[in-house]
Amino acid sequence: MRKTSFMRPIAAAAALLAAGAAAAEDKPESLNLGVFTFMSGGPAAYGMPGRQGAEVMIDMINAEGGVAGVPVSATYVDEAQGAEGVISEYRRLSEDPAYGFMIAALSSGNCLALAPIADQLNMPTIGWNCDTHQLYLGNDYQFFYRPNGNTIAEFMAYALYFLDKNPDVSRVAIINPDYSFGHDAAEIVKATLKAVKPEVEIVAELFPKLGSSTFQTEISRLSAARPDVIFSNMWGGDLENFIRQAAPRGLFRTSVGVFALGESALQSVDVPEGSIVGVLGDGYWMSPDAQEIGLAAPFAEAYRAKFDADPVFPSVKMANAFLVMKAAYEKAIADNNVEWPSKEQLAAAMEGMSTTTMTGEMTFREDNDGVVDQLVGTVAKVDGKLVMTDMARYDGETMLPPLGEDPIAWIGSLTPEFLAAMPKPGSYE
Amino acid sequence: MLQTLIPLFVDALANAALIFFVAVGLTLVFSVLRILNVAHGSLYSIGAYVAASVGLWIVAAGLPAWLTFPALVLSAAFTALLFGPVIERTLIRWTYGKSEAVQVLVTFGLFLILEDLQRMVFGVQSIYADTPMALLGISEIGGIVYLNYQLALIGLAVAVLIGLRLFIRRSRTGKLLAAVVADREVSQAMGIDTNKMFMIAFTLGVLLAALGGAMATPTTGVAPGLGADTMVLAFAVAAIGGLGQVEGAAVASVIVAVAKVLAIYYAPALDAVAPYLVMLAVLLVRPYGLFGAGATRRI
Amino acid sequence: MRALPLILAAGLALLALAPLAAPYLQFVLTVAVAKGFAALGVALLLRAGLISLGHAMFFAVGAYAAAFLAQAVGINDFLLLLPFAVAVSALAGLLVGAFLVRYRAIFFAMLNLAVSMVAYALASKLYSITGGTDGLRIDVPTLMGMSLEKAQFDQALYYISLVLLAVVGWLVHRYLKSPLGQALAAVHTNEVRLEYLGVSAWSTLLAAYTISAALAGIGGAIAAVAIGHVLPEYAFWTESGHLVLTAVLGGIAGIAGPFVGSIFLELIHTVAVGYAAEAWNLIVGVALLAVIFFLPRGLFGLIESAAGVKDHRGETEL
Repeated sequence: MRKTSFMRPIAAAAALLAAGAAAAEDKPESLNLGVFTFMSGGPAAYGMPGRQGAEVMIDMINAEGGVAGVPVSATYVDEAQGAEGVISEYRRLSEDPAYGFMIAALSSGNCLALAPIADQLNMPTIGWNCDTHQLYLGNDYQFFYRPNGNTIAEFMAYALYFLDKNPDVSRVAIINPDYSFGHDAAEIVKATLKAVKPEVEIVAELFPKLGSSTFQTEISRLSAARPDVIFSNMWGGDLENFIRQAAPRGLFRTSVGVFALGESALQSVDVPEGSIVGVLGDGYWMSPDAQEIGLAAPFAEAYRAKFDADPVFPSVKMANAFLVMKAAYEKAIADNNVEWPSKEQLAAAMEGMSTTTMTGEMTFREDNDGVVDQLVGTVAKVDGKLVMTDMARYDGETMLPPLGEDPIAWIGSLTPEFLAAMPKPGSYE
Repeated sequence: MLQTLIPLFVDALANAALIFFVAVGLTLVFSVLRILNVAHGSLYSIGAYVAASVGLWIVAAGLPAWLTFPALVLSAAFTALLFGPVIERTLIRWTYGKSEAVQVLVTFGLFLILEDLQRMVFGVQSIYADTPMALLGISEIGGIVYLNYQLALIGLAVAVLIGLRLFIRRSRTGKLLAAVVADREVSQAMGIDTNKMFMIAFTLGVLLAALGGAMATPTTGVAPGLGADTMVLAFAVAAIGGLGQVEGAAVASVIVAVAKVLAIYYAPALDAVAPYLVMLAVLLVRPYGLFGAGATRRI
Repeated sequence: MRALPLILAAGLALLALAPLAAPYLQFVLTVAVAKGFAALGVALLLRAGLISLGHAMFFAVGAYAAAFLAQAVGINDFLLLLPFAVAVSALAGLLVGAFLVRYRAIFFAMLNLAVSMVAYALASKLYSITGGTDGLRIDVPTLMGMSLEKAQFDQALYYISLVLLAVVGWLVHRYLKSPLGQALAAVHTNEVRLEYLGVSAWSTLLAAYTISAALAGIGGAIAAVAIGHVLPEYAFWTESGHLVLTAVLGGIAGIAGPFVGSIFLELIHTVAVGYAAEAWNLIVGVALLAVIFFLPRGLFGLIESAAGVKDHRGETEL
């Protein structure tokens, strides 16, 4: 019974601490955020538009008076320093009372590492871009929310889209980066194909290291496999290097490329026309829904004015993360009728929250994963610019397994009829 | 069977060519100066950055595209002349006669400094300059399309190997270098200016590293971290061949490349491990490398 | 001579009090002490004139061992994780060392680098076992069966680390004063004479190598639970370089040197992140060169001079 006698004062102290923290707080002078993204190396080609989206969003929020009257400022942390440094920085910022909210992180690997720490440090955090479905499998986090959906919905959408687009596909090759995101996507694509078109053969499966500078040998290997479709969820500098290196070697003359994160590279590299690309969610600033909601156009205009480029989907994802955060503050203030919410009130307010983002509706499920629609399209040149055409918008809800079910097993239970019931390419214009 | 083996062979040689330049530079510096230059990989990436920046500038300035070819070699030469003599004269010279620990640490310090200097000068974004690759076109070998640039690099690597061989065996400077390698004290006693030899050898090493980096740019992206990754690969090759062995580096480049290509073709999960597993296997049997000999114990 | 133990005791007391004055320093200092253990291991070998460019591997082995026991086996009590991690890394040190301590000079450095790169590559590619480049997570461990909140555990961990620092530091000090430890320096100065005296250089060095691996394992286990995540980068060659750098920066002559170096580096890093993040490697590189050129006895040498220690006879140098 020594244990209880020792534990009692600790438990009492913890209760006291919790009680103190749960009480409402005074309005701070500014709302300081930690924003985590890749800002150096190859992955920065994808991470920097995210950061730029945050900058534009902060300007826009502050121009309207901030979040509940409090101006927003951000400290940017470079995820390229490796997870150890990212964790240390996250802890350093979270333990500093000046910081109220974290928008972290871009990489799935970093989200897996940060989510338990968010709970340990009671720091409300939004995973703005990471999407591995392993994040919430068997984990019940209180402080870590992810408004942009997960790999299951995303990669099922690609598999369904290219099956609809190329019904006689028989040989598929996969080349993904070597970490949870790449491995998850490969599992999901293979499981989906097996369920709805079992005769498809996987002829090559490669996992080069994230941030590789050359893919020449992999390109030879892919050419030798003669696939109809090359599926890849490479991103940033990897994706750009791969397309630049593979296109001259004729890989895309014989195989259709499916670049899951391709929309982010349309402005920086000649993505072959006819490739299938998407935005991992609904974050396409030119989509019909985005035009109807009307927030994306002023955002794109401000973005263009500041950075001389159109926003790509990482910028939109980041902007949507800011909108979700803003909604969370407003909801927490209203729910508790306080001047300024505590971290616990913020986390509680996000539970089950629904909000309209720049590009569609977002609802948090019970496991804190966001439900968003999935947008997939085909690259074509319109007015000299590469854009997404022939789009399909898949309903977020139907693409996710019921809570608590093993996702890969759930995909295995799907039938070809599931594919037949899906919206067709070109149905969303 | 042959049909599948030919692409494997071409890929292995193309990979070997890229590794060879940087590994042979590392091993050459070691053979003359008896110093393992941990900053060698940084000089490779600086060569790559300079070449890519010059290449992009040539295209942006509207100059004739063929100028990008001489620009690759000139970038490497520029890098070598800028860094080689200065580094050898100041940092490296100070470590002669000091313990290996001091020598390794001084070059590690240099590695850290050069890594950040690159970030400051060239920024942190990935850059890509592929004009020379686009100019040379493509060939089909064994049913697979290769870049003529990749094939040209194999030729260049062979030429550099033969050139180094001739330089060391035939030229006066080369013979003097060989004498210094064979016996430093006796060469000094016979009136060879060893300090000058050290500087020449070190600068030649930097040239080879920078040339490796420059030649790689048309088919690879250049980004921070390239130096640290290249360093270990070059090191693995040099260790397999035997530190200080020029021919050893060539043979080891092919071995490492074959291991890597075989892994990508038949066991992709092991692609990054293969070079190091080969290295471990070789070193377990021959700790001083395939062509190396152990140093005599100091009394 | 009297002043030195007093300064060491004062330094330890200062460490114990630091989190009270600046709570955010606790995490930084925990990681600093963890890396200090690994740097101490490297310093032991440096005394014998051997430079290891792969010692981060044993740090990683300790960290991964702790993570395996905690997540795969499900035994997650720090007082079991630590000895397990130390035992595994010592065993790894014994096995690797049995092969490597035959070699000297650059070949020793190289072979260590070679083995550590294999370890790094395996850790990052064996996705199903090691979690690949995502690494493995460690939940907050219990302490003697008590489950603690993260904040309380971190505090306990910090003070356990300080106690370990004092106890292990003293043990290593005793070891260095023992014949086995004295023989270590003799390997550096004159190995052949040592063997003529009937002492086996191989077993002397193997003992030192195993101890140094175990020290790195202590560091790895502490870092793993403090950070809550283990990654292949722990074993990357630049980390090994940093460990040697830390040892030399602090000074390899005494036990305190590597810890002084480690704490100094982590504190400077914390400051630099805010002001000169881009130039961090540059600062460290210049500091390293400055120490090698001007302070061959490291930062701890400065403290010793301040304490009036002038007798450096029989002390090992780089």
